[in-house]
Amino acid sequence: MSKGLKLTDLLVTVIVAIIFGIIYKIWGPLYGVLSTFGLQVEQLIYGMWFIAATVAFLIIRKPGVALLAEVAAAHGEFIFGGEWGISTLLFGIGQGLAAELIFAVFRYKRFDLFVVCLAGIASGVASLGIDYFYGYINDLVLWNFLLMVIFRLLSSVMIAGMVGYTIVRALEKTGATSLVRPASMEDYKALE
Amino acid sequence: MLWEFSYKKTWLHKINPSFKLAIVFLLCIQVLFIHNLNFIINYMLAVLILYLFFTGHPSMRLLLISVPFIILFLTSSTSMIFFGKGEETWFEWGLIHVTEESFFRGIHIGVRGLIFAVLGVVFALTTRPVYLFYSLMQQLKLRPKYAYSFLAAVQLIPIMVEEMQNRRSALKVRGVQYRKGFSGFIDKFRLYSIPLLSQSIRRAHRLAVAMEAKSFQGAANRTFYYKMGFSWLDIVLLLYFIISISASYFLAIYFPYFPATDVRFG
Repeated sequence: MSKGLKLTDLLVTVIVAIIFGIIYKIWGPLYGVLSTFGLQVEQLIYGMWFIAATVAFLIIRKPGVALLAEVAAAHGEFIFGGEWGISTLLFGIGQGLAAELIFAVFRYKRFDLFVVCLAGIASGVASLGIDYFYGYINDLVLWNFLLMVIFRLLSSVMIAGMVGYTIVRALEKTGATSLVRPASMEDYKALE
Repeated sequence: MLWEFSYKKTWLHKINPSFKLAIVFLLCIQVLFIHNLNFIINYMLAVLILYLFFTGHPSMRLLLISVPFIILFLTSSTSMIFFGKGEETWFEWGLIHVTEESFFRGIHIGVRGLIFAVLGVVFALTTRPVYLFYSLMQQLKLRPKYAYSFLAAVQLIPIMVEEMQNRRSALKVRGVQYRKGFSGFIDKFRLYSIPLLSQSIRRAHRLAVAMEAKSFQGAANRTFYYKMGFSWLDIVLLLYFIISISASYFLAIYFPYFPATDVRFG
């Protein structure tokens, strides 16, 4: 059996990513509305923009899926006319790589809530790194800067981590995920 | 979808899509390293010219597309204007502290966002995704299985929209009641997302099996229905950016609008 991604893996990843790309696009105006309140409350929904990587990885469970999903979702948001234009791709690559890195550290063998939340946080940190150049966030007054960082990482855990994990748990119950996952030890045992 | 509207073909449509994407992406990275407000304003004008005159789309549509960008300009700059670091105080009220430095920095971030948005829209309005992926396969040697996955996924979007409408009708027929407020949002999210995702996964799986049967995962030396190449217009685009960006830079140095030459603090 080949180790790389098969066409099935790719197609499922990309389609899931495109669905999230549409959500990413809808998230833009929502984020804009919340921004008018000030005090960084909009950061509390920022984590949605990391969810494609975690959900796709939990569905397919193979190397490279998280990065591909996040880039594809960003590309989707971009071609649907996302407000951040071309910079979306840059954020997508950064966030995807960060999530991928966490899954790689655990050798693509752990699919539990803890690792997923960690991947969300990594994506959050990557996005903050790009914002350091883009938005000069270190030039915000300290309390405001800290508020932003805390809110964004909190939403990374809540949305990309917990919501993503819950979605995939629900998907597992529908049986759709077993179509695309590599057979596990339990599957072989069930055959005996 | 943007690419299904009618439009006139301009020279921007004829540029090699991979080349255009590469230029736009490099410009995007360059813009991150511009800290001079005057330069970035001139830069925006250079990009805006392409948007206003060369996309081949009617002006009403261009106006409509630009509305969210203007809102984004306002919301992305205000946070920095109100809460940024600075010494020359202009206005203070409670937590809000507007200074000269934070004001210019806020405007700078807003303009930067506009450049990203306009570059992105110019690209999206003048590039058919099909051509982009064919070009990525031919010029940048993207593996065909990646490109065809994307193309297939884009084609599936209308089916997903239809499915969502079916779901809405089905839930209505069953008389589903949502809770009020945020919990209602969660109800809706759960009732829509899981069936849509699981159906999409199943459909993707079926489609992939069919595509594999047709050898779409593909050998390296395959033939292509669309042949993408380069033309002299690619050089025109390159020259346009080299000249306009250099001009923006020198105009910013000799004829600045604002005294702010570096918007970073300290």
